[in-house]
Amino acid sequence: MSANGHPLDALGDPTRRQVFELLRLGPRSVGDLAAELPVSRPAVSQHLRVLEEAGLARHTKDGTRHLYELDGSGVGALREWVDGFWDEALAGFKAAVESKGGTA
Amino acid sequence: MSESLVIEVVRKVVTVDCAVEEAFRVFTEDAMSWWPVATHSIHETVREIVFEPREGGEVYEVSTAGEKGHWATVTGWDPPARLVLAWNILERPGEQTEVEVRFTPEGDGTRVELEHRGWEAVAEGAAEKRADYDTGWGHVLGRYEARL
Repeated sequence: MSANGHPLDALGDPTRRQVFELLRLGPRSVGDLAAELPVSRPAVSQHLRVLEEAGLARHTKDGTRHLYELDGSGVGALREWVDGFWDEALAGFKAAVESKGGTA
Repeated sequence: MSESLVIEVVRKVVTVDCAVEEAFRVFTEDAMSWWPVATHSIHETVREIVFEPREGGEVYEVSTAGEKGHWATVTGWDPPARLVLAWNILERPGEQTEVEVRFTPEGDGTRVELEHRGWEAVAEGAAEKRADYDTGWGHVLGRYEARL
């Protein structure tokens, strides 16, 4: 997936949404997240990768521990994600409308 | 925790080369022609997107297997000028965002303005959730301490 990612897709998956929700409470490691969710660590890692690609999460290092976090409450990231989404959707809308009828 | 939290509204403007009625029609009746379903849908594959044309109506997708996926609720239906949706992106109670789309004539075409607002509700939800969580842990640790 492209670097600017796709938040709606990223949050379309219920488990991924739970990962995002847990990160809204504060930074967590893969192990922390796996302990709080009914999925394996590799599955958690995969979800985190998608959230990172969508710009919804990022990871930092605390000593030897890798932690995943959101900016603030995660709302900033969510807003950015939605901003990019509407650019894409409205460009698609313009193309669709204009390919149909041409000038009214 | 609701002190003056202001998160900038998302605003988009696009001008399209058709009449207002047509722009509104394509937006609401033919969303499959423009919505990026490949990357932005609940189900893997989608065969239909429905905007129920009334206040209180629902916006939803239908997967190729026939399952419904709720997107938003129509809170303003004023064709062909305006459309308002309540969109709960995170599907959490009370964390509704609002999308307003206005269609106005401009020359031979239509100016489409989109505003996506209400991020404060999401931020407040997060703050409340965090507070609950902190209190929860305080409680657990308090019990733990009491046992020592």
